[in-house]
Formats: sequence, C-alpha cells, structure tokens
Amino acid sequence: MTLLELEGVTASYGPVQVLDGVSLRVPDNGAVGILGANGAGKTTTLRAISGTVRAGGRIVFDGKDIRGLRPDRVAALGIAHVPEGRGTLGDLTVRENLRVGAYLRKDAKGVAQDIDYCLDLFPNLQNRIRSNASALSGGEQQMLAVARAIMSKPRLLLLDEASLGLAPSTAKNVYDAIRRLRIESGIAMVVVEQNANLAFTLVDSATVLETGRNVLTGTSAELRGMDEIRRAYLGG
Amino acid sequence: MARVVEAPASSAASSFRRRPWVRRAGPLVLLVVLVALPLMLPEGANDTLARIGVFAVAVLGLNVVMGYTGQVSLGQIFFLGLGAYVTAYGVTNDWNIVLVFVLACLVPAVVGLVVALAAARLGGLAIAMVTIALPIVGVPLAKRLSDYTGGSQGLSARFTDAPEGTGLYDDQWQLYLVFLIGGTVFLLTRNLVRGRYGRAFAIVKGNENVASSMGISPYRYKVLAFTIASLIGGVSGFLYMVVVQYTSPETMSFGHSIELLVAMVIGGAASIVGSILGGAFYVVVPDLTNAIDPSLTALLQGALLLVVLFLLPGGLASLPRALTRGRRRSRAGRGPAAPPTTPSSTTGSGTAAEEPETERQGHA
Amino acid sequence: MRKHLRSRRALGIAVASAVAITLPGCAREVGGGGDGGSGGEASPGITDDSITLGITTPLSGATAGPGTCTVAGITAYFGAKNAEGGVEFGDGKTRTVEIEALDDAYDPQQAAANYDQLKDEVFAMTAGLGTPTNRAWRDAAIADEVPQVLIMTGDPLFSDAEESPWQLGFVPIYQNEGEAFGELLASSGQDHKVAILSQNDDYGEGYVEGFTSAIEGADNIEVVEQLTYEATDTSVDAQITQLAASGADVVFNAMSQVPLVVSALQKAQQLNWKPSWFLPSNTSSPGAVLEPGGGAAFPGIYSVSFAKAPASPAFAEDEDVKAYLAALPQYGNYPDPPAFPHCQWSWMVGATLEQAFSEMTEPTRENFMEALRSIEDFQAPLMLPDTTVNTTEDGQPAVSTVVVQKYNGRGYDTVESFE
Repeated sequence: MTLLELEGVTASYGPVQVLDGVSLRVPDNGAVGILGANGAGKTTTLRAISGTVRAGGRIVFDGKDIRGLRPDRVAALGIAHVPEGRGTLGDLTVRENLRVGAYLRKDAKGVAQDIDYCLDLFPNLQNRIRSNASALSGGEQQMLAVARAIMSKPRLLLLDEASLGLAPSTAKNVYDAIRRLRIESGIAMVVVEQNANLAFTLVDSATVLETGRNVLTGTSAELRGMDEIRRAYLGG
Repeated sequence: MARVVEAPASSAASSFRRRPWVRRAGPLVLLVVLVALPLMLPEGANDTLARIGVFAVAVLGLNVVMGYTGQVSLGQIFFLGLGAYVTAYGVTNDWNIVLVFVLACLVPAVVGLVVALAAARLGGLAIAMVTIALPIVGVPLAKRLSDYTGGSQGLSARFTDAPEGTGLYDDQWQLYLVFLIGGTVFLLTRNLVRGRYGRAFAIVKGNENVASSMGISPYRYKVLAFTIASLIGGVSGFLYMVVVQYTSPETMSFGHSIELLVAMVIGGAASIVGSILGGAFYVVVPDLTNAIDPSLTALLQGALLLVVLFLLPGGLASLPRALTRGRRRSRAGRGPAAPPTTPSSTTGSGTAAEEPETERQGHA
Repeated sequence: MRKHLRSRRALGIAVASAVAITLPGCAREVGGGGDGGSGGEASPGITDDSITLGITTPLSGATAGPGTCTVAGITAYFGAKNAEGGVEFGDGKTRTVEIEALDDAYDPQQAAANYDQLKDEVFAMTAGLGTPTNRAWRDAAIADEVPQVLIMTGDPLFSDAEESPWQLGFVPIYQNEGEAFGELLASSGQDHKVAILSQNDDYGEGYVEGFTSAIEGADNIEVVEQLTYEATDTSVDAQITQLAASGADVVFNAMSQVPLVVSALQKAQQLNWKPSWFLPSNTSSPGAVLEPGGGAAFPGIYSVSFAKAPASPAFAEDEDVKAYLAALPQYGNYPDPPAFPHCQWSWMVGATLEQAFSEMTEPTRENFMEALRSIEDFQAPLMLPDTTVNTTEDGQPAVSTVVVQKYNGRGYDTVESFE
C-alpha cells in the first residue's frame, strides 16, 4: 500500500521555480531516496511534504490530501522532518530534547521506553544525556535530531542530508543506526542525500532530480548499475 | 534560557527539596508565613510588600511572553495601566467589585489577544515594535478619553479600606488581597509553565521550526502567551489600584515598561522566583537609592543594574544555582557523583522531571 | 481617623527588625508615631528645636530640571535661616527647618511610596512638582491628616478646601493665567480678532477657560478661529497656517511644549503673519523660546509672571534677588544660575511657610493648617509688585495673582495695558 504519494508537485521561492512537477511514491515501510545535484530541488521536496513551503500539485499521505496544511498539522499526522542543519534546541539537554520530540504523545510509559530505545540506538547520546545540545559534536547533534524525530513516533521520517559535514566514519555510524531503526521499527522514510553510496545502504528505491523534475527513478540495484549515476554521484 | 524539562539531577538544593517532609511542610510553612506576616509587620513594610506584589505579578506576566516564550514585549506596562483604569472606572461607578475584577482581567486579555493575532503573524522583531506602540499610544489616549480616564489628572479610587469587623488595618487588608490574588496568579502560572503549555512555550522559544516539526504551532502559542501575559498584566493593574489607589497616564508611560523589562532580567528570565525578585527589585531599588542620595537615583540604579548583570547574568534567581553548581563541582572532584535519577529509574523520568525542575534562567 | 497604636507581639518586633534590614526605611517604631491631631500633643516631625518637612518630586527623568529646583529653592531658603539660628515660631520657640527630599521620577506609584515613607517622620509635605504625582497620595494624606501644602501643580483640586482639607496649591492655576491676559485684552479699548491654539487636555482647556471667562461680554474681542493640537504632536504648522488665514491680530497660544512654541513662532514669520502673542508662563522663556523663535519680529509677545527673573538686568541690584542668588549655591546645592522659575517659586514657598510658622501657636498639623490658611496679602521675597500670597480665598492657590508682561527684546517688563 502507498503511504505517501507526490504527483506533479511544484514550488517556488519568489519568482524562482524550484520544483517543476516532482512525483514520488513511498510504500508502507518503504524507504525512498532523492538524489541530485545542489539546487535540484531535493530539500524543497521534503519541505513541500512537511508544509514548510507552499506547494502546488498533489501530496497525499495515508489517503489524505495534506498539501497546504500548516507544518504543525502535518507533524501531528505522523510525519517527522529532520531538517538540514539539524535544528536541535541548544539550550536544552539531550534528554530534554528527546522529551520535546514526544510533545504530542500522552503515553508517559511509552515515551520513557522510547527514550531508552533511542539511547540504545545512539550510544553516544547516552554518555551526553545531561549535556546541553549546543555542547554536542556535529555527529552527536545529527543523532539527536534523528532521535528526537523518532520520539514523536512518526509513520514517515523525512531525512535531509544526514551526512552533511560529518566525518565519513561518523556518517556511516549515523546511517547504520538509521538502518537498524528501519529494520526494527518499519518506519517509512524519504532520504535526501548527496552521497548516493550512503543512501543506497538504506533505501530500496530512489529518484534523481534535475532542476526540479524527476529525470530517473528506479530501485537501488537498478540505479547503482547505471553509468551516469555512478559518474555523477558515486564518485566513479 | 528555556525552562528545564529535567532536574539538574544531583543538585543539593533539589535533593533537599525532594525529601518528602520538605515537600509537604514547605507550602504549609509558606502559607502560615503569608497569613502571619501582615499582622506582625509595621505599616511601612506592609505597604512595601504590597507594592512588590503588584509589580511581581506584572513581571510574571512579562515572563510568560518573554522569559518563557521568547517574544520581546515592551508593552507590559500598558496592560497594567489598562487594568488599573478599568478598575478605577468600575469602582467610581459603583460596579460590583467581583465584576470589576473580572473586567480588569478580561479587557486587557482581549486587547492583548487582538494585538497578538495581528503581531504574531508578522514574526521576529515585529512583535517588539507593535508592543512599543502600546504605551506610546496609551498615554495620549488616556489623556484624550478624559470622560473615562479623568484625563491627565487621573482617577482615584479608594475601595480597599479594611472592612469593619475584620479588625484589620488598611495596609494589612490590602496586603492580604495582594497575597490572595497575586498568590493565586503565581500558582496558576507556575502550573502553566511547568506543564505541557510551558514545554510548548520553551520549544517555540528555542526553535520555531522544530516546534512546527513537533506539531506545535508557533503562531498559536505566541498568541496564547501574549494573551496570558496581557491578562496577568490586567491583574497587576487591579492590584495597583488596591495598593496605590490612583492611576494616571503617567502610570503607563513607556519608561516603566523598560523598567519592568529590567526587573524581569534582573530577577531572572523564565523563572517564577525570579518574577518575585524582579518585583522586589522594581520597588525596593528606588527606595534604596533614595535613601542613599535622592539626587543620584538614576545613576545608582544604572550602576546596580550593571553590577547584578555582571555578577549574575542569569538574574538574582540564579544565585542559589550558581552556588550549588560550585558545590557540586567540588563534590564531583571527590568521586563519581552518582545521579539519583537514571533514565530507567523507578521514580519515572516523568515525575523526576516535572517536580524539582526549578527554573533555569537565561539571558533574555 | 486611623490610630496607629498597634500592639504587636514580640515576634512581630523581631520580624519587623529583620525586615527593617532588608527594606531600609520602611520599618517604623511599632506602636509609635500617632498622627497627633487633637490637643496640644506635638505632631510627628516637630520638636522644640527643629521641624522636618518632606518633599517628593522628580529628581531624575524628563522633569528632573524643574523638580530639582523645587527642592533647591526651599532648601536654600531655610538653609540660610538655619545659619542665622533658625525660624521663630508663634509659640515662641525657635526651630531649625530640615528638608527630607525623595525622588519620585514623576511616577505616581513612587510618589505614593515616598509619601508612605515620609509621613511619620515629617511634619508636613510641601513643594513637590507634578499633578499625577501629587494626586497619587492626596487621598492618603487626607486620611492620615498630613499637610500636603504649597505644592507645584496647576490642578485646581488642591485648592478646594472642601475637597482637599489638608492640601493647598502654590502656583497659579492655568485659569489664572488665561484670565489675566483676557482682562488686559478686553480693556485695551481697541477691536481685536483672536485666534486660539490650545493643547487638547486639561492644561490647554484651563487656559482657554480662564481667557474666555475674562473676555465674556467684551464687545471689542472676537474669537475668529479656535484649534487644538495633541501634546504628542511634533508639528503645528498646519494649525498655524490655518490660523494665519483667519486674519487674527492676536494669538492666544496655550501650548506647553517648548519646541512646538519655537516652531510656531517661526512658521508664522515664514507666512509673513505678524500678530501679537500670548504665551503661558512655562513656555515663554526669553532664552529658550523667544530668541530661537525670533520673538522680536512680532509687535508684542505677552506672558504672565509673579516672580522676579533673577537673570534680568532690571533686578540685578534687587536685594531679594541678591540674597536668593547667594543662598542657592551655598545652601541649596544648586551651583548654576537657576534654569527654571521653580527655583524662585520654591524659595517663595519657604518664605510662605515661615510666615505660617510665625502664626503657629501649637506644634500640631491642625494648628499649622489654620495658620497657613490665614495668610493675607503677603509679599514674599522675589514676588513682583502687585502679586501677593493670599491663602484665605477658597478655590484659589496661594498665589493667584499674576501680572502680564511684555517681551522687550531681552527680557520681560510688566505692562498695565495692551499696546
């Protein structure tokens, strides 16, 4: 069954058209990558889904048209956005940040369990539980941002450039943890990533954007085999 | 900056407060003190305490919108003035005093709501700009609407003389009213900012995008915080009339808004105790500087402000925390300080987090 | 009224003294300090050899300039007297006069707090500047039976003995000033077209009310145009242009803002409109208003006064002025030449109080009020000829007579008629 479907989605910042008819399909429990060069419209596609930019076209989540909903409404439906640049609350501790993620939840017991789960998933955070988020390293902040998104018990996770600015080994750690999360929880994901190699460790299929349009869509295996993809995004 | 959702676990102060007998006896002792104090203090001290109560409530309101939610408001004095005018007008027209009180809360709240609905949409510094306009428009407006406000000569209303039969003096009666009304407001506000709403305020303050992504509408919570701040401002206006018994356009002049802001920062932003300390600062410091040299009050007040901010950037309310932190550091040197609350401890992170979570102040 | 004889328990005293440390100046003697009132028992603030007076006035903020003067004048006056040994009272005793002044920053709430702090240690409150700041504790002063007298406000409420039994204003009310000019104009024997521009509040209304009552029934005066402005306006150019078109030859300008008066004078010259002007006493200073505004260009600029201008060459040899200018820096902690008339007024308040003290036969506040309310035609030092202190007329402040003066290019001369 399809959880999220985008069809002919458009968006613009002022006079600049950034999305010019993007389509995307994410099945239940699926993970779909969005690849492309800088400025191709990857981040904007995530923002269109989460409601942080005004979009045209059709965006359907779980059978409900969510285009034009305010971001907080979209979030309430179970879509958690981990934005580029993380956006952790620097003045709150790691634990507080995690509790913030669970703001809309009322099951105190479940929240406590999920905090434990997050700390198990990201052991680095366990050591920093009482530190202010602003004191964390870049990799730890990224982990915290993902963990906080998990705390809202989402049905769909929007991940934006989770590897940005991280050392390769740290980036791999982060993706390993997210893959484990995917396997254990079955949360569906849309993954925006510059580093296609990393993305393919996580997603089942992907689409390549160019100037706001899909130019290529396929399974991970299909795309991995294509010369042009390899040249453009796989560094070979 | 933002309020804590978690106890600074091993602080000596909070572990003291977590002892059950302290928790149970604390409020009781406080209550006894509040009941006994007006009877025992001399009149001058009662007057001073009552005025501290008035401005502590005003600072508390400011804290809701600014300290806890991070929205700069420079118009708080306007809502105090509005509440005072509504009270004075109602009392001079012999309205029922309960009705007067309700109106003194509601009218500022509605005005605050309307202003916030427009201003919060603009975002950023626009709220600050709009709120600056409030006292600036309020003063000439109060002078102009002289049929309701008494013009620049103001309105007097003496309605808080101690009722016959209570055997109380006026200053005692007034202080009881301040304790009762102000105390209720403090209690309600404390519960508000420590509950779900308070957490939402803190998230909005921390990062609006994060708030949105957590399902919290920054706009709605900003409007809510501003409206509550206006309502509390109205209550402080009512109390102003209880204690000062006179209001005029000067009551809401812009300078006082800045003084309230200073009082909030000095007391401690995003802190309940800090609001009380801020109110005390607002009231006691002019008296104090007057006692030192009446011709140098402005200079002395400025100097005092700088001293406090340099020594305690988190405000007066951060003093005990600064002390415990120092103690904790020395204790940590002796051995691994085992935190009493671990994530999976049986007390449950929920209660441990909610209870002693004191206040965390920050630089507003 | 209220008795302050409180019996409080020993614990109370302990707590009170603890609070006295944290809240300086708030604590008072438990069970002490009765308000006096009846009989010969002395009121607070007076002993056999001294009396203490309280002042709450703005010493910081926008009105600090005139506020500081309200303290300096009276402090200098009694400082000089104390240096001579003190003031002789009607009961035969000689007392020194001490002044306790507190800053209220023109904040009514702070003024009330200052009053609360002073009321038990001073004999009377006096000389403070400001309408809202004096109104804030007027009710309390009545309830406590504390004199609040010879204060600097043009608000008539303080001079209504029925409403305000423990109060008395010092300076002329706004109506007095408008009336004085109206009378002069009505008796000029010529026809005049008058344009009125007034501040849209009780200040402007008071002036206009006094003026219109004086010209009522005068056939030679016609008000051809009447406009208002807001105290917060930054320009009155539009009003001046409209008034110029009315062809008036006299402008009655009830304006309290110095910069606006300057720009009004300039605008009229720009329009080549040269009427005679009336300006209120607080916005007619030769140095601050008329020189920058080019006052010499007009046929006449009139204002009112009751105090000698110490800077005027006409009074350079005046004994009063010389004594005043010597005492102000020596005893009044005011080293510069007085910048506001409030300094002179405050000096006169001192002299008026001395006059009342000399008639006081009992050291009580009641007796003082009686003595104060029976001063007739007292020519206080620094007063202009034809002006006096008169406290016996109900509804009027201590000084209600003013003389009209005309600008002579440098200062003001008293005039008998409109020329």
